[in-house]
Amino acid sequence: MNKLILGRYIAGDSLIHRLDPRAKLVLSFYFVGIIFMANNWQSFSMLLIFTLGCILASKISLSFFLKGVRPLIWLIIFTVALQMLFSSGGQMYWHWGIFKISEFGVTNGLYIFCRFILIIFMSTLLTLSTAPLQLADAIESLLKPLKAIKFPVYEIALMLSIALRFVPTLMDETAKIMNAQRARGVNFGQGSLIKQMQSIIPLLIPLFVSSFNRAEDLAIAMESRGYQGGEGRTKYRVLKWQTTDTMAFVLFAVVTVALVYLKN
Amino acid sequence: MAIKFNEVAFTYQKGTPFESQALHDINLEIEDGSFTAIVGHTGSGKSTLLQHLNGLLKPTEGEIQIGEQIITPETPNKALNNLRKQVGIVFQFPEAQLFEETVIKDVAFAPKNFGKTESEAEAIAAKMLQLVGLPESIYQQSPFDLSGGQMRRVAIAGILAMEPKILVLDEPTAGLDPRGRVDMMAMFEELHREQNLTIILVTHQMDDVANYADHAIIMSKGTIIKSGTPRAVFSEPDFLLNNHLNVPTTTLFSKKLTEKGFSFANMPLTEAELADDLVALLSRKGGHDANE
Repeated sequence: MNKLILGRYIAGDSLIHRLDPRAKLVLSFYFVGIIFMANNWQSFSMLLIFTLGCILASKISLSFFLKGVRPLIWLIIFTVALQMLFSSGGQMYWHWGIFKISEFGVTNGLYIFCRFILIIFMSTLLTLSTAPLQLADAIESLLKPLKAIKFPVYEIALMLSIALRFVPTLMDETAKIMNAQRARGVNFGQGSLIKQMQSIIPLLIPLFVSSFNRAEDLAIAMESRGYQGGEGRTKYRVLKWQTTDTMAFVLFAVVTVALVYLKN
Repeated sequence: MAIKFNEVAFTYQKGTPFESQALHDINLEIEDGSFTAIVGHTGSGKSTLLQHLNGLLKPTEGEIQIGEQIITPETPNKALNNLRKQVGIVFQFPEAQLFEETVIKDVAFAPKNFGKTESEAEAIAAKMLQLVGLPESIYQQSPFDLSGGQMRRVAIAGILAMEPKILVLDEPTAGLDPRGRVDMMAMFEELHREQNLTIILVTHQMDDVANYADHAIIMSKGTIIKSGTPRAVFSEPDFLLNNHLNVPTTTLFSKKLTEKGFSFANMPLTEAELADDLVALLSRKGGHDANE
């Protein structure tokens, strides 16, 4: 369960941690967009150095980021292998039937690998350095203009915060129930596929039951504390735009210009 | 089955940035047929220790012997399945593990997992439900329709149905009303006496330790700081109080009496003992001193 690095916040007080979550969210998405402009080794190395610089500024150990790559490693290998084996162009190194390894394929595979790494590192940086509830606040704030077209911004934001808030609780609960059922002789992840599917039932039903109970308790707790929807509700954590946030945008603009200059 | 821990240590997520040591230098011995109580604060490592008892966790250092089986960090997981049958763990709030359509099916779940046929399992289930004091009328009901106390009894029956040799209880009376607590503890006492079950009880209730256990283990910060008979452990109430742990109400009361000038040959452990000692002391001192 702990392999799931996305969504694991590591508290800290670095420059990156202190950035406005809205800025971090927008810039992360923006970065994922501009990664696709890079198309030669100069532009990729520049992005890689920039990303490593951001990681360094967050003061979070690089090993956390490498762990974030692990769950996706098979997807990456598969995609890279597909690129390498099936694209042609340039010098041909090896070929057998429909499989071939060409110069073009190798470089393309490498670029795709870099893209994956960059996207994972940057999104991991976002989730490691921003508390989930801050992210939910940021999404709410960014979606606010949609209220004009009657989009239920507050409700969506509340659902999101509650969902995020209960991820760790549910994970704890899952671990507990798994232990209890293992003590009753269930072997998770062993035996035939059908057996494994059956072993999920004693896990899922208790989880559903406790989630519904929890939801009811939460609803009662919220109502008894006077919650009646988002309209007019003030916030405990107020998002505040600072000079550093603007500076971050300027920095990304510089990176974009450099990227346009470096790419083919 | 006897249990022996030899220099056991456990670290969660060893070799990762989230590494945290939960247990260290654990040496303990639990005799066959004994009633052992483990007490300690939240986070003192009690729950981690429990999970070692049936191989849900393997020590990262040291060696555990349970009956004939020896568990070391290198023991393969497959070898632990047999242990699960021998050691039944009732986790905290065990009613959370119920999932079947009917009470009887839920109790029969574990024996079925350990190779009993449907009818054998249900026969055992019916026996265990009787043992925990549930009426036959509820066997075909959904476990989710029962009261909290009944659900807990069903869950405990579900563990007893494995017919374990060792029963491990993690705060089995948490969240029950005072009456439910007494009933529940009386039930375990009976199981201990009549089925000769080895019982390991994790609790915050020092009164239960004094009343039922014959061996007490005090844990703090991932290791054992004191162990012995409840009488020996509670004979120094100050040691426990200094470690921010409670002492049995009787001990506390006797301690206050000693401060007022009473003296006991042995620190009384249970209410009955205290009453006897007081009667003896007061009759010797005469009614006049008792008013103090």
